[in-house]
Amino acid sequence: MNAIEALGQYLVLVQSNPGLFRDDPPLLARLRQEALGRLPGEIESYRADKTIPAECRPDTMYAPDYGINLQHLEMTADVASAFRCGVPNLNCYLAVVVGDVVHFTDSMLKAPEGLEVYSLRNVPEKYLDMAAYIGRRGDSLNALLLSDGIYIRVAEGYEIDKPIQIVNIFNGSTPMLTPRRVIVDARPMSAVKVLLCDHSQSPDTPHLASQVVNVNAAEGAHVEIYDIEEAAPATRRRWQLIAEQASNSELTVSSAYLHGGVSANEYIIDVNGDGCTTNLSGLAICTGQQVVSNKVTLRHHGQHCTSRQLFKNAVFDQAHGAFGGRVIVEEEACHTDAAQTNRNILASPDARMDASPQLEIYCDEVKASHGATTGQLDERALFYMQSRGIPRDEARRMLTQAFMTDVIDNIGYEVLRQRLHVLVEKRLNGDAASCSTCATACHSNTTEQ
Amino acid sequence: MAEELLKVRNLHAGIDGKEILRGVDLTIRPGEVHAIMGPNGSGKSTLSGVLAGDPRYTVTSGSAIFHGVDLLALSPEDRSHEGLFLSFQYPVEIPGVTMVNFMRAAVNAKRKYLGEEPMSAADFLKMMRQKRAVVELDNKLASRSVNEGFSGGEKKRNEIFQMAVLEPRLSILDETDSGLDIDALRIVAGGVNKLRTDKNATIVITHYQRLLDYIKPDVVHILYKGRIVHTGGPELALELEERGYDWIKQEADQL
Repeated sequence: MNAIEALGQYLVLVQSNPGLFRDDPPLLARLRQEALGRLPGEIESYRADKTIPAECRPDTMYAPDYGINLQHLEMTADVASAFRCGVPNLNCYLAVVVGDVVHFTDSMLKAPEGLEVYSLRNVPEKYLDMAAYIGRRGDSLNALLLSDGIYIRVAEGYEIDKPIQIVNIFNGSTPMLTPRRVIVDARPMSAVKVLLCDHSQSPDTPHLASQVVNVNAAEGAHVEIYDIEEAAPATRRRWQLIAEQASNSELTVSSAYLHGGVSANEYIIDVNGDGCTTNLSGLAICTGQQVVSNKVTLRHHGQHCTSRQLFKNAVFDQAHGAFGGRVIVEEEACHTDAAQTNRNILASPDARMDASPQLEIYCDEVKASHGATTGQLDERALFYMQSRGIPRDEARRMLTQAFMTDVIDNIGYEVLRQRLHVLVEKRLNGDAASCSTCATACHSNTTEQ
Repeated sequence: MAEELLKVRNLHAGIDGKEILRGVDLTIRPGEVHAIMGPNGSGKSTLSGVLAGDPRYTVTSGSAIFHGVDLLALSPEDRSHEGLFLSFQYPVEIPGVTMVNFMRAAVNAKRKYLGEEPMSAADFLKMMRQKRAVVELDNKLASRSVNEGFSGGEKKRNEIFQMAVLEPRLSILDETDSGLDIDALRIVAGGVNKLRTDKNATIVITHYQRLLDYIKPDVVHILYKGRIVHTGGPELALELEERGYDWIKQEADQL
C-alpha cells in the first residue's frame, strides 16, 4: 500500500462506518464533518510538498499502521493519577492528556475569573460556533479522528496570572495515533500563557502524535504559547500552530525540541489586524537519527505590524534539521517590519541541515530582512577554552548551549526561561532531560529516573 | 643549577605545509623570565601556539619536555592542567558563555585532572574576587560573556586574571603589550609581576622593549626565520631597541 492509500484508509474508515462516532459531541462532529470535505484535496497536496524532509511529510508520517482510540477509552487512567507535580505549589493550571484523553487536575478547578477551560467534548453551546470557527483550520486528519481536546477561553480584559500547562503523555504497548487539539480563544485585551509539554513513557512504542493548536488573538490580546518536546525516538510528531491576530494583538510562540524521533512542526500565522506584534522562535538539538523540521508561513495583512523569527538548530551525528520560513507581506500591509533569522550548527560531517528562508513582498513600504547561516562551532573559541583546561567535549557543549542562549533569553516567562537553560544543558550533557528536572512542570512517578 | 621546567629541542613546526619553526632550542628554569623577540614573521606566535597545542600548527620534528612530561603528546587542555598557560595575542570572544561559567569549568576541569573535588560555589566566588584584584578587573565583567564587548585593555587584563586563577608553572605572554595604552600596560605588567614566584616561569613574547621595562627578563632570545639566533641578558633588548633587527638578520643570514 502506498502512502497516499494509507491516508485514504482513514477516510474510508470514517465514511464507511457512519456509526463510528454515534455519541459524537457537537463540536467534534462539526470539525469532523468539515474535515471530511477537505481531506481528499489535502491528501493530494501532501504529494506536492517538497519543502520539508520526506520523513516529515504527512503522507509518510501517517503511512504506518497505527491504532486509534475512536471510542475515547481511558486505557491508562492511572498514568494521569500517578502524575504528580515535582515542585510544591506548582504554579500553573494543569491538564494532563494521556494518549488523546484529557484529564484536568485539581489546579484547574481553581481557575480564576475570566478563564474557562473545557474538554472539546463539553464545550458549552454558547461557545460552539466560536470554537468551531477557530478550529476550522489545521490538519484534516487530526480533525477527522479527533475524540478529545482542550478549549481555552479567556474573557475580555482578563489577564490570567499563571500559565495553563498541558502535559501530553503517551503510554502504551501498541503503536498508536493520538490526535490532540487545543483551541485558544483570547478575547479582546486579555492575556494568557499556555505551556505545552510532550512526553513519552513508552519510548520503544511507535507513536504518532498529531497535534494542532488553534489560536485566536482578538484585539489587543496577548497570547504566549510555549512548546517543549521531550519525547522518544519512536515518536512521530506532527505539530501545527495556527493563529490569527486581530489589531494590536501580540503573539509569542516559542518551541524547544529536546528529544524525540521525527518532529514536523508548522507555524501558520495570519496577522490580520493593524499594529500587531508576532514573535516566533525555536531551538532544536538533534542527535542520532532525529529529524526536526520547522516550517513557518507568516502572512502580513495588517499595517504597522512587527514580526520577528529566530530559529536555531544544533545538528549532531546523522541527524537532519530543516527550516522553511515563508513571510508574505500582502499589498495592503504597509509599514510592516519583518525580520527572520535562522542559524544552524552542523556538529558532525554526517549531520544535515536544510534552510529555505523566503520573503514575498507585495507592498513597497516595508522593512523586511531574512538571514540563514549554517556552520560549525568556532574552532578558535574551542581552542581558547581548551587552552584554559576545559576538555574539548565540554567546550563543545558549552558553545552549543551558548549558541542557543538568545532563543531561550527571548522567552518572557521567567520560570520557563531559567528551566530551559537547565534542560538544554542537561540535554547537551547527555543526561536524560526527564520531567523530574523541569520545575515549571511536574514529573510523573513513571518517568522519574 | 635548578631543574629544567621546559626543555625544547630542535623543534620544527609549520602551518599548511609551510615550515615556520626550523629547529628551536630553548631551556627555561623555575623562577626565570625569558623574553623572545624578533621581527615580524619570525615564528614567535607559532612557537607559543605550538607549545599550547594550537591545532592549526603541525609539529614535524623535535621535542618539548615540560617538567619531565612530553608536552607535545598532550591535548591542549592537559597542557593547561600540567601548568602551561598561554595569554593570547588576540583573546577570543565567546558570546553566550559567561566569564563565571567559563572560569568555573576551567578550574573544576583542572581539579578533576588532579583528582580533587570541584570547588564549592562560595570558595570559587571568593577566589574570583581575590584574583580580579590582581589586575583591577571590573566585577561587572564577570557576568558578561567571555571577552565580548571588552576593550583591548580589558581583554588583556582578563588574560592575566585567568592566569592568576589557574596559577600556571609556565606562562607564555604572546604580545600582551599590543593594543595597550601605558596605564593598561602598567596594570597588566604589574599583575604578571605579582604572580611571579621562584617556582614558576614566564616567556614574554614581544616586539618592543617597552614591556620589558615593566617585566624584567633574565634572558632575552631573538627568534629569526624559525630559529633562536641570539641569546643574551636584558641588555640585548636595549640593543635591539637602539639598532633594530637588521644587524641580527645580517648576522644570521651569513651563517
